[in-house]
This record gives sequence, C-alpha cells and structure tokens, in this order.
Amino acid sequence: MTVGTQPESAKIATDGSGEPVDPIFLQIRDLVYRTSGIFQPEGKLYLLAGGCARRMKELGVRTPREYWGNLTVQAARDGEIRELLNEITIGETCLFRSQPQVDALRKVIVKGLVAEEVRRAVKRVRIWSAGCSTGEEPYTLAISLLEESEGLLKGWKAEIVATDLNDRSIETAKAGIYGEYALRFTSDYFKQKYFVPAGEKKFHVSDEVKKLVTFRRLNLQDNSKILFMKGMDAIFCCNVLIYFDSVSKARVIKHFFSSLNFGGYLFLGTSESLFQLNDQFHLVHFPGTIAYWKPSLKAGRL
Amino acid sequence: VTTPTSAQIGDRVKRIETVPAIPAVLLPLLELLKMPADQVSIDEVVRLVAHDKAIAAQCLRVARSALFARARPPESIQGAVISLGLRRVEDILLTCCLGQVLPANEWLLDPAAFWTHSLGCAMVCRKFAERIAAADAEKAYTVGLLHDIGFLANCLAFTKEFGPAVERATREQIPFDEAERATMGFTHCDTGRALAEQWNFPDDVIQVIAHHHTVKGSETAHSLVALVHLSDLLCRMCGLGYGYCEPRGVDLMDDAAWAILLKEYPSLDGVDLARFTFELDESVEGIRDVVSSAFSSAAMRS
Repeated sequence: MTVGTQPESAKIATDGSGEPVDPIFLQIRDLVYRTSGIFQPEGKLYLLAGGCARRMKELGVRTPREYWGNLTVQAARDGEIRELLNEITIGETCLFRSQPQVDALRKVIVKGLVAEEVRRAVKRVRIWSAGCSTGEEPYTLAISLLEESEGLLKGWKAEIVATDLNDRSIETAKAGIYGEYALRFTSDYFKQKYFVPAGEKKFHVSDEVKKLVTFRRLNLQDNSKILFMKGMDAIFCCNVLIYFDSVSKARVIKHFFSSLNFGGYLFLGTSESLFQLNDQFHLVHFPGTIAYWKPSLKAGRL
Repeated sequence: VTTPTSAQIGDRVKRIETVPAIPAVLLPLLELLKMPADQVSIDEVVRLVAHDKAIAAQCLRVARSALFARARPPESIQGAVISLGLRRVEDILLTCCLGQVLPANEWLLDPAAFWTHSLGCAMVCRKFAERIAAADAEKAYTVGLLHDIGFLANCLAFTKEFGPAVERATREQIPFDEAERATMGFTHCDTGRALAEQWNFPDDVIQVIAHHHTVKGSETAHSLVALVHLSDLLCRMCGLGYGYCEPRGVDLMDDAAWAILLKEYPSLDGVDLARFTFELDESVEGIRDVVSSAFSSAAMRS
C-alpha cells in the first residue's frame, strides 16, 4: 500500500514516459503472483519491467517475449524466477519500510492487547520477525514498541525474536550499523533518539533498542525447530515466503498459525498475499495495509 | 438533547433551499459514458465536454497535470479526453458538478474529503460489482457516489447539530455514524433518506442511502446495500475515507454484509480480496488527484 513510502524514483518513472507497457509484462506479473504471491498493480508494472530489463541484460536476452521463455521453460525457470524476485524486492530492506504496518501494530494491535490485559497472566508482548535479514525489520518493531513504553505499554515487557537462515545476515543484524539509505524512511526524531552516530554517514542502533531483540538462526523449513516458536502476538514475514514453493509455503503458514496466540496477526510484504494458501487465517484490513488474523477464542470461529 | 423523529427530520430537510442546478451536459454525458467502451463515440464525448467551459477546462487541466501528462501534454479537448480515458472523464465530470452543490461556506466537513470518499466508493462499488459479475455495475457506481448525501443534508438543515459530530469523529478517529449517533441521536443515513425521498430517488438508491451502515435493516435491495457497505469500509481502510484514518482492523468476510452478498453472488467466494485491495491502492492516488485538482481550481475561480 502506498502511504508515503514510495521512493522518489518511482514517482519520476510514472509521469516520465507514459508509454504503454508491453502486454507480456501482464503475463509475467500474473506468473510472479501465482508462484510467489507478490502482486504488481498496473501502475507499478514499470518496476517489474525494470527488473526484467536488468535480468535480460544480464542474460543477453533481447525481447521481453524471449525472456518469458527463460521464466517458463522447465530447466532454468525456478532459478530465473528467483533472480527476478530479487530484482523486484530490491531496496525493500530498510527501516520503517511500511509505516501503515507500524501504525497497525501500535495503534490497533498493542492497544487491543492492553485493553485485554486482564486476560493475560503476564504483561508481555511478543513479536517474531521471521526472515529478518540484516535486522532492519526487528529494529523497526523494537523502536515502535519502545515509543509506547511510557504510554500504552507502561509496565509491559516487550520481546522481539528475529530469525534468519543466513548466519552472515544475522551477524550484520546483531552489529546494528546502518547507512543513510537504510534509514531513508526513518525520521530525524527517531535517528536522534534511538541511534548513535558511528563514523561517516553510519548510525549505530542504541543498546536500548538492541535489548529488546533476540537474534537466532532458524530455517523456516525446519519443522522441528519451528515448533518452539510459540506465544507470538504478531509475526512479520516480509518477502520471505515468495521464494518457497506452494507446498512449503502452506506448511510454514500453518506453523505461523500455531505460533501465534489467539487473536494474533501475521504481516507479509506490502504487496504479498496468502490467497488460496490457507483458510484458517482471516484477511483483515488496517488503514493502508492488510494482515492475517488468527481468530480469537472469543470469536468462536475457528 | 431530544432526538428528532423521522417526520421532524423530513420537515427540516424539506425546508432546504434548492441546491444549484446541475450543468445541462451532465446527464447526456453520463448516459454516453455508461455505454460499453467500444460503442462510445469519442467525438460525441468531446463535443459535450467542449460545450461546458468549466468541465472542458478541468479535463485539460488534469490531462496536463503531472499524473497524466506525456512527453507532450495534450493541447486540445480531444487530446485531453483520449489521454484521460473515459472513466477518468466521468470522474472529472462528477467532481466538477458536484463540487458546486454547496457554497464553500456551507460545508461543515472538508468538501475535498467528501468527494474523494464519494468518488472512491463509487469506483470501488463498480469494481466490486464487476468482479462478482453483479448485474448492474453502473448502478453500483451511482449508488456508491450518492450513499453519503445525508452529509449534505446535515450541512444544510442540521448545521448546529452536525458541527460537534464532525469534530468528535475526527478527534476520536471513530466512524462518522458512531459520532453522529453519540452527539445528535440520528445519522446522515436518516437525513439522507429524507433528502432522497424528497428528490424521488428510486427505491434501491434510497435503501442504500438509508441502510449502508445498518445492512440488516434494509427493506429491499439487500445485496446492493451490502455491496456499498463493504466498499465504503474498504475505502475507509484504503486511504479514501474522510481525511482521517480509523485505527482499527476490519474483517470484511466476517461482516454480515459479506454473507448477504455471498448468498446472491456465490462467485464472491472466489474473489482474491488481497489482490483486489492492491489493485485499489493504485487508483487511490488518481482519485485524490482528480478531486484535489477540481477543488484547487474552484478555489482559484472564487
């Protein structure tokens, strides 16, 4: 959803050319949606076209129609779709990538938890950042919860469990040092409050933020380990499942469902959907974003 | 405060001075634009658009704005109509005409927000109706456009009562009908119904105006009322609300309206609501642009 998070370059491209997009990109769009769940609406097809163009150059392919072959002919297609997905989601790992998701967490979910606090044994909010890459997402979540620590969450304990498959990503995440590009959607107020300058144009996440986050290596395909992830109030898993085949995807989503508390929420990437992968979650609309809800026991509709 | 009876509401609505006459070209143009796209005569559209100076100027203005302009912005009405597309011409037309329904000093809520929501809801109703193959998508568009005319009646006949309701809704970020009920004891649905009856609107339009917040109360046209109710909610969650966001989660499929609509249109079950939402997102900016440019030009004229 587009609420103030669109990069400048995107705006230039929309009014720049105005040229009609080759209809083959609609076909590629639908293929990408079927295989990954990532959807590019027509106005954003230029992003897809740009990604395709970079791949075509790399492969020495001249026309989009020829590239369609690369995406559909058996031998190499899975690898190529993966490469294309990398291109499309490039630049999405930064702090505060999706303000509507952060708002939904603070203004609706946390508020709801606090309102129901009598039903909780422990005043604790627990969030899982699944596929946290180099840490941008868990730190965003930590900062958002810290902002409520003197307000809604006064007297509460907040915990963010961040997992990724890649050891090197986790090391980078733990270090918590980001450049200006990763912080392009982070307000100056947050930069001053939660970061310490670390050399030229680098910022170090403060200890106060780090304290909330626990990093762990976890393979989402590892069925036995994933069972230990329990008691979550929300799970954020952005642009991770897009690389999975539909069987593994459905399995991971089932795990997410059981990891969540009743009434908990699963957030995916901003243009990613679960369509036809799971019928336990309810699609819920928040201002400017969607999420998937595990019905509360009270609702009695499991 | 004593809540007026529906007869008293009707009496006060009857005393509203007549609203400004709508431009003569509006109805023929709308008739023309309702035809299947391949049967519409562009020359005829251009002829009618050119007939009304305000509408013509607005079409040119929007077509030359950053959102639509190509390398060389159109210089003729014909060029403008072609580069805008028929549906956008229709939106501009309605905003132009409807923007003048009330003089600027009579509005108790932001007129740009009002028309953004009305046009947005009209568009969503049409898309929704098309998606579930409902019989009359154009009817859906019309009722979507008119569903909140009760706000106009409020501005004209209940000035004293409506002001605090607007203030409360925006301050507490709650749905308008809740704020109205709490402060006035009646809502825009009641006043809208009175106005619609006075204007001799068809029964299904009256039902939508009267019951889009109380779907189960509709006497006839149940599925049309349900469709507008869902579209209205969707708009408010997707940035086409009344200029403030309601911080809450909305489970459309769990809404009574969903079940009512599903009963008549089983194909609703197969609608990919996530994808539908992503597709709406990109129309949001277009609608905002059309409305804000209509109002900035209105401001320039006065």
